[in-house]
Amino acid sequence: MNMPGLRALGAVLLVLLGIWAGARFYASSKAVPSQRAVAVPAGVASPANPSDLLQAAAPPKIPDRLPQFALQDRSGKSTPIASFEGKSLVINFWATWCAPCRSEIPLLKTLHSEWTGRGVSVVGIAVDNRDKVLEFADRFKIAYPLLMGEQDALDAATAFGMESPVFPFTVFTDRRGEVVTLFVGELHRPEAELILGQVADLNQNKIELPAARRAIEDGLRTLKTT
Amino acid sequence: MKTWPTALLMLCLAGAVSAKPWWMHGVESNETDFLPPDVAFRVGAGIDGNLLRVRWVIADGYYLYRQKIEIKAESPDLTVAAPKLPQGIMKVDPYLGNQEIYKQQVEATATFSRFDYGAHPMQIKVTYQGCAEAGLCYPPITKVLFPEQAISAAPQPAQPWEAVAILGGGFAFLLAGLLLRKGRKLELPAAT
Repeated sequence: MNMPGLRALGAVLLVLLGIWAGARFYASSKAVPSQRAVAVPAGVASPANPSDLLQAAAPPKIPDRLPQFALQDRSGKSTPIASFEGKSLVINFWATWCAPCRSEIPLLKTLHSEWTGRGVSVVGIAVDNRDKVLEFADRFKIAYPLLMGEQDALDAATAFGMESPVFPFTVFTDRRGEVVTLFVGELHRPEAELILGQVADLNQNKIELPAARRAIEDGLRTLKTT
Repeated sequence: MKTWPTALLMLCLAGAVSAKPWWMHGVESNETDFLPPDVAFRVGAGIDGNLLRVRWVIADGYYLYRQKIEIKAESPDLTVAAPKLPQGIMKVDPYLGNQEIYKQQVEATATFSRFDYGAHPMQIKVTYQGCAEAGLCYPPITKVLFPEQAISAAPQPAQPWEAVAILGGGFAFLLAGLLLRKGRKLELPAAT
């Protein structure tokens, strides 16, 4: 073999060596590593941390009026929320797996019976499996109207401005269908009575909506500090 | 008098900074101080030999339910065994009975097997559900995680033979180039 041929052969061998070395390096990078740290976000998240406070969930963009949607009732019939028109509504979004939701059911039952004569109706909207909801409703003897669904009920929650819903949350409307306020978290009797008192005044035209909202704001703040 | 428009503008800007409808303040003042789910429950995954580790860092005042934690294989040809979880704190639930919960942080481990030898990026699907002690709950959260990517982000210990392979490969290409070039002259334009 002449010299140029030998050189070419040597070059080919060296190129093959380079390819082999590269392949070994690639294989090593794909191998299952051992004894390496688990990548987890650094630090313990705490609401007391200022950076976390900045990340607090944005407040919902609550609509001015009751949005239109329809969900199945206990019998499976599609029921538009508009079918409760003319009443003040306490629309409670909940789920059977949610402990604070279950805790407030007795209060909602009481509110429904106490306020129904004054044109107020509690409507439960369960974002949950239908069978579970029906079993729960029977067991807890929920007498107020119940609507339910999974994705469609989640869409209804979104229609109230709850983009990433948390449960429970309760929407209060006046008899004209105007959204008075949206209360996030477990509802307690003092809070419910404060809000319903303002709703009653609105319904009797004793107060304007902005003043009612201001009164609710002040009242809730006072309740929170006491 | 020119200060009036400026003052008015400043007042408007101050109002814009609060950036919330005034009538929502009642709501804001009591309960919208909850964290978004990804901040309340931070999750990360990694692998340690054939052990998968999934860790949640839980914000103060929040908790996760043990029973609601699921880890499943998402990528093809990956199998993940049932996760092992440490004992949690018992929480009394009148409806569901005693429930184990986790606060602060929790790590689940599960053994895994792969049959595709790295042809697919390793993906797992984790589901978890938690609540805030303030009296609200988040719907179940499902996320697809890439445990290997989390690992590759961490600095890897260098192995000596890897450096030898890289340098050797580079040197081999250099030698090959020199061998092929030997005896050849680059024709340059003649200087004028």
